[in-house]
Amino acid sequence: MAADGRSRRASGRPRTRWACLWLLCLCLLPPWATGDTDRVVLGNPGEPETVDPHRYNLRLEETILSDLFLGLTTFDAEANIVPGAAESWTTSDDGLVWTFRLRAGARWSDGEPVTAHDFVFAFRRLLNPATAASLAYFMYPLANAEAVNAGRMAPDDLGATAEDDHTLVLRLDKPYPYLPERLLYPTAFPVPRHVIERVGDDWVKPEHWVSNGAYRLTAWQPQSVVSLRRNPHFAASGLPPARLEQVDYLPLANEQTAYNRYRTGEVDAIAGFPAGELPKARRELAEHVRLSPLLSIMYLVFNTREPPFDDARVREALALVVDRQTLTDRVQRAGHVPSPSFVPALVRDYQPVPVPGEALTPAARLTRARTLLEAAGYGPGRPLEVTIHHPSGTEAKRTNLAIAGFWQALGVQTRLHQSELKVHFSDLRQGNFQVALAGWFGESNPEHYLGLWHSQTGDVNYGGYANAEFDARMAAAALEADLTRRNGLLREAEAVGIAEHPVIPLYSVMVRRLVSPRLGGWAENARDAHPARLLYWR
Amino acid sequence: MARVLSVRLLWSLVTLWVIVTAVFFLLRLAPGGPFDGERRLPAEVEANLRAAYHLDQPLPLQYARYLGMLARGDLGPSFRQKDFTVNELVAAGAPVSLTVGALGLLIAAGAGIAAGVGAGTRAGRTGDRWLMALTNLGLAFPAIVMAPLAVLVFAVLLGWLPAGGIGSAAHYLLPALVLALPFTAAIARLTRGSVVETLAEPHVRTARAKGLPSGRILRRHVLPMALLPVVSFLGPAAAAMLTGSVVIEQVFELPGIGRYFVQGALNRDYTLVMGVVVVYAVLILAFNLLVDLAYARLDPRLRARP
Repeated sequence: MAADGRSRRASGRPRTRWACLWLLCLCLLPPWATGDTDRVVLGNPGEPETVDPHRYNLRLEETILSDLFLGLTTFDAEANIVPGAAESWTTSDDGLVWTFRLRAGARWSDGEPVTAHDFVFAFRRLLNPATAASLAYFMYPLANAEAVNAGRMAPDDLGATAEDDHTLVLRLDKPYPYLPERLLYPTAFPVPRHVIERVGDDWVKPEHWVSNGAYRLTAWQPQSVVSLRRNPHFAASGLPPARLEQVDYLPLANEQTAYNRYRTGEVDAIAGFPAGELPKARRELAEHVRLSPLLSIMYLVFNTREPPFDDARVREALALVVDRQTLTDRVQRAGHVPSPSFVPALVRDYQPVPVPGEALTPAARLTRARTLLEAAGYGPGRPLEVTIHHPSGTEAKRTNLAIAGFWQALGVQTRLHQSELKVHFSDLRQGNFQVALAGWFGESNPEHYLGLWHSQTGDVNYGGYANAEFDARMAAAALEADLTRRNGLLREAEAVGIAEHPVIPLYSVMVRRLVSPRLGGWAENARDAHPARLLYWR
Repeated sequence: MARVLSVRLLWSLVTLWVIVTAVFFLLRLAPGGPFDGERRLPAEVEANLRAAYHLDQPLPLQYARYLGMLARGDLGPSFRQKDFTVNELVAAGAPVSLTVGALGLLIAAGAGIAAGVGAGTRAGRTGDRWLMALTNLGLAFPAIVMAPLAVLVFAVLLGWLPAGGIGSAAHYLLPALVLALPFTAAIARLTRGSVVETLAEPHVRTARAKGLPSGRILRRHVLPMALLPVVSFLGPAAAAMLTGSVVIEQVFELPGIGRYFVQGALNRDYTLVMGVVVVYAVLILAFNLLVDLAYARLDPRLRARP
């Protein structure tokens, strides 16, 4: 009806002009909405800095790189570690020699065979100081790796050798039972030697691109889109090939924008949306909301180098009155999971040690905290004054306002100091803080977290915590090749450390995603890893 | 004229050098560095990185190196966008920024002049009051407020336009509209004042007395005079729109150079920030130069004496 009226009125000359304009507008409208059956548009929380697996630095790059390359090990939809480019492997009794059997038919995306020599080339390139790989230390478990990376040894001396085209041998300095997990990272991915030797650093450009994963890179418009297409030779590796022809990764750094663009149908899945939208999203987009706890720990770290936090009693007092449940459920309301231990509960084959005092009632905790503070010389006459450093952002600010509230019950006067992320971590590494909010993400391996308390760890032991007994137990664990016994030793070390409260564990991050309910092959997992090769449209 | 031009050009170069120098050293004063992150960097790794980007050299040497590269038109490698040079990034981002800026300028000039003439010819009447109230609103709301509001209304609630990114011509419309808004308001007010003033001129009264139709008076006798101040406003406005899209690009996730500027600054990507500053500076200097030349052409009093 309305259309009829409009067409009748449009018969006059000026009206015709308007009609043409409307027609033009209509032509401009539809193309942004997705809806292809052979393509998926995924939101990534930012722009990748590189697609070179040896120079990458960010989790959002891991996402793309894991679609482009296939390492010796890989993960399934639930993020379990499964064989990747290696079909099987064996370990020597002392845990120092790992022998990987590569899949015989595997091919690069240009049809060339993938061999053990490609992996050796890749490991040497990663650790070569000239590559300037910022995550080279991920492969320091390899024999001589640290010396090679520091330029004290030649890359040829690295503990990675090819016995034949399909047999790769990795030698380690010390036993490291978590190696299959470490090999999931792009730092352990092979790179196409035959292309790099021909075109040099330009091998990462789409026009020269060759990789061995389910997808290959076909276009990268900076700040706009990274486009991947199915690798026609992937099926030869023996793994099931990708089901969707094209994957487009959009850099959506701002959660609000990501949320808007998801709601307008421009993106099929996004990596995060504002916590404030969670209740509404649960009501209106119930089938789209995917929450999954991430292997991670957010914590407050004390600067133990100087007063007042060189005194373990003060640290314990402040730790006792932090109510994690109230923090996550009533202040943040973002779905985060309170963590009473520093090693996250999601770490496999490990029983983390909760903070001492966790079992006490709130009243008993408050009484004990007051006693401890008094013993340390603080009270109504001489209140403890503390400044918490945190990175800028609403969530960090709310978190620390809540902490300041908890501490107020002890008469502690808390001030907040916020700074931009870079400055925050720079301050942390230089020890320019009293108490600070920090986080650690990543592996399903207790050592990954406990290593932060080791006195020789360097500047990521932000608080400068040092305890000889803790160090000794960590050193003992590092020599153990058996995973169960090793984790038992690490648990003892964790108990020694947490008794002195170098940190206050707060919570594990809950990832808030929106995913199209039509998208199959997507499963929530602790690594928040969702290989594109498993995705399909229902 | 050639002498004016060469003196102007020389001064522009000096200005550019001062800007480059100030930004170069100010950037190094900011705490943190390009390789700081949450993850640990062992000393040897950081040394490798610093050496790869020549950050291990003394600062004056780095500065001289940079000036040398700049003279050859090379903006260097990006510290963080490792697969691209700054030249490649600017080449990819500048067309987006320029498109949004040009479209915004077009909208601002078109809508602003139309509204200004409409209000000026109805000075004191209801239509005029409404239009001027609207322009006040347009001036009062900054892009950081208007942009998310526009997305909410036109993209999320009504679904008429995309919420961000690029891909089709429709993607440019909303950012250009929001960018144009304060400039439209400014141009409308400027035009209105100028039209009211011109309408009171004796030559307009004469034309009216001769019985010319009001449309013709407006086109022939009012607009040419009334638009002079608007034209001189367009120069700085063009520069401000091209550089002022930093916020717009951020909110609409447009892959323009304004976004590199913000992210480059946050990442301490020294070369990228320097590159964008150089491009912005050159653009602004060029527009100012154009305006100066236009003034000289329009107003004989400003021409340098031989």
